[in-house]
Amino acid sequence: MHHGLSDPYQPGSSPVHRLAPAVKLAAASGFVFAVVLLPRGTWPAYAAAALALVAAAAASRVPLRRLGARLLVVEPFALGVAGLSLLQRGGVVVFLALLAKSTLCLASIVLLGATTRFSDILQTLARLRVPSLLVTTLALLYRYLYVLVEEMGRMHRARRSRTFVRGRWFAWRSSATVIGHLFLRTSERAERIYAAMCARGWKT
Amino acid sequence: MREGVEDVDALEIRHLAYRYADGTEALRDVSFSVAEGDRVGLIGPNGAGKSTLLWHLNGLLPDHPAREAAVRVFGTPVAEPHLPAIRAQVGLLFQDPDDQLFCPTVWEDVAFGPQQLGRQGPELSARVRDALQRVGLAGFEDRHPSRLSHGEKRRVCLAGLLACEARILALDEPSSGLDPRGRRELVGLLKTLPVTQIIATHDLELVVEVCPRVVVLDGGVVVAEGPTVQILNDEALMLAHGLERPHILRHRHPH
Repeated sequence: MHHGLSDPYQPGSSPVHRLAPAVKLAAASGFVFAVVLLPRGTWPAYAAAALALVAAAAASRVPLRRLGARLLVVEPFALGVAGLSLLQRGGVVVFLALLAKSTLCLASIVLLGATTRFSDILQTLARLRVPSLLVTTLALLYRYLYVLVEEMGRMHRARRSRTFVRGRWFAWRSSATVIGHLFLRTSERAERIYAAMCARGWKT
Repeated sequence: MREGVEDVDALEIRHLAYRYADGTEALRDVSFSVAEGDRVGLIGPNGAGKSTLLWHLNGLLPDHPAREAAVRVFGTPVAEPHLPAIRAQVGLLFQDPDDQLFCPTVWEDVAFGPQQLGRQGPELSARVRDALQRVGLAGFEDRHPSRLSHGEKRRVCLAGLLACEARILALDEPSSGLDPRGRRELVGLLKTLPVTQIIATHDLELVVEVCPRVVVLDGGVVVAEGPTVQILNDEALMLAHGLERPHILRHRHPH
């Protein structure tokens, strides 16, 4: 069964793919910190960071279009956060700087995700002694995001197959029902998952 | 873990009753036992209480265990403080494989149980490899569970139980969603596994092939129990409980 969610990981054998996940994780977080700490409006520095990122992306041989498409999906969030700064005086410069910085940070994470399996990132986090509760939560999130999207797709299709009228109001209402059902199903599923974890020896 | 006494049943259920929080009575006075090495089919219509019963074998239900446990596994009551030991001995296969496959990769999922039991390093890898091989999924180690077909997910779940080396397998609808070949392989695997099995299913042909003994559950009550061929040939009994005499028996003489 196909579902809408595609894995961010792009299999490959480039030097970037073959780097140890820990190295990539360190590089990406280092990059994010550096960009965040750059003073506002130091455009040459932003450009240098962007250049470094493009070089890494080229070395990874992941099609730039794919990376760009991924980036576009998360860009609205950056836009939203940066947009708030337009309300203040002289906000345009702040807006542009914020937008540039967050885009750079997001792009580096997109590149990390495209060249590193998420399970490898999780294992690295666990080895770095990140609290196991956090790692487990991330792992479950990653696993069940797919199940959830698949379930949503199924319910949505089933609805549509029994929808014979066109009407925005009706569509909205039936979406609301789907979301409500999904919420219920998810909480029931959470209980069963927990039971399944206990059944195989999970200790709390 | 062996009791040393030969006549201790693998599974002993005595006067088991359970009522869900919303008042639904799921099980009423259920009693039967399963000898070590036995394979028992648990059949009955939808809502008969089969899954609820299996959850009890692992101490997942009731939420607040009674003082006197109604279920005993190799003589040990299914209650605190024995639950970790019980769960290591009873491998439970859930009805929906997505509930059971909670790790990011197949390897990690199959390794989850043995890791909780303290296995690591080469021993762990060997167990995982062996378990995946037995369900015919060698080479699937790095796959993401959501990328698998329903049948493959089921087999990974089963591998996760085999890797724990459980002495009792409690399987909830193990053949649902499998294609004919997958089902045939499952039947072959179950017949060769030298462990006690209790199999809740609507797949009566599988019961005939795998289980010498069967327990019929309806409305939370055991309505019949005995040799599979004899019980499943009782057409009146089968129809009265939402079941039917499987085709495989129609072409076979009862004795």
